[in-house]
Amino acid sequence: MAISASEPTQSVLEAAMRGAELNQNLLTSDLANADTANFEPSSVDFQSQLATALNAGTSPDNVSFQATTQAQTTNTNGNGVDADETSAELSENGLLYDSLAEVMAANNQSLQYAMGIGT
Amino acid sequence: MSLFNAIEIAGSGMDAERVSMDVTAENLANAQSTTSSSGKPYQEQSVDLSETTGSNFQSTLQEALSGTPSDSGPVQGGVEVAGIVNDATSTQLVYDPGNPSANKQGYVKEPDISSVTQMVDLIDESNSYESDVTAMQTAKDMFSSSLNILK
Repeated sequence: MAISASEPTQSVLEAAMRGAELNQNLLTSDLANADTANFEPSSVDFQSQLATALNAGTSPDNVSFQATTQAQTTNTNGNGVDADETSAELSENGLLYDSLAEVMAANNQSLQYAMGIGT
Repeated sequence: MSLFNAIEIAGSGMDAERVSMDVTAENLANAQSTTSSSGKPYQEQSVDLSETTGSNFQSTLQEALSGTPSDSGPVQGGVEVAGIVNDATSTQLVYDPGNPSANKQGYVKEPDISSVTQMVDLIDESNSYESDVTAMQTAKDMFSSSLNILK
């Protein structure tokens, strides 16, 4: 079995990190536009999209994440950003990304150990 | 899209909030200015923000390398100051006969700026600025954690 490229754990982690990265960009954009009139916030529920794709048999490398835009407005100027909620989601997303990176590093270490180059 | 985008977007937000703060501070400082550069009473200003849908560093570099450079645009999903708008209606007449700008009846045309509203705006802008800083910090942490994968 070829390693790295077709290593399933690695590919799934990579796809999840791609999703988290996209979500981070979207959430940051929401926060930056918290005072922009008529702005509609968007985010991506990458976990459920990834789960659906994997259940359907799609290769994790080919999963593309779709951002969802929330048209509902919460502020008087037609802006839909809830700053508190977005901040909370942002730190949650950051921690999730960190843990994915951590798991990926641990997985890499196992692979290196198996190859005899690790410690 | 990369994590650098998140940092750039947060940066654009900080930029916009800073301009908003400057304008709010100007409004507060000039709340009693009876003559501005135009000779009329100072007019309350407000910042008009808009989302940016511009190019990023990569596409700009690519354009530059291919020999057709365009203006380096702002990052996609960021925020920019679309303009600073004057509120022409914001004047009030205040009775102050001793004022050199007073008319015959003793009234002075002053800008109608509520310092309370301006202070609340200032707090709002300061909070937005702080949340942009936090977002940038999170993106930075994410970036350095992904650098640690191969350690």
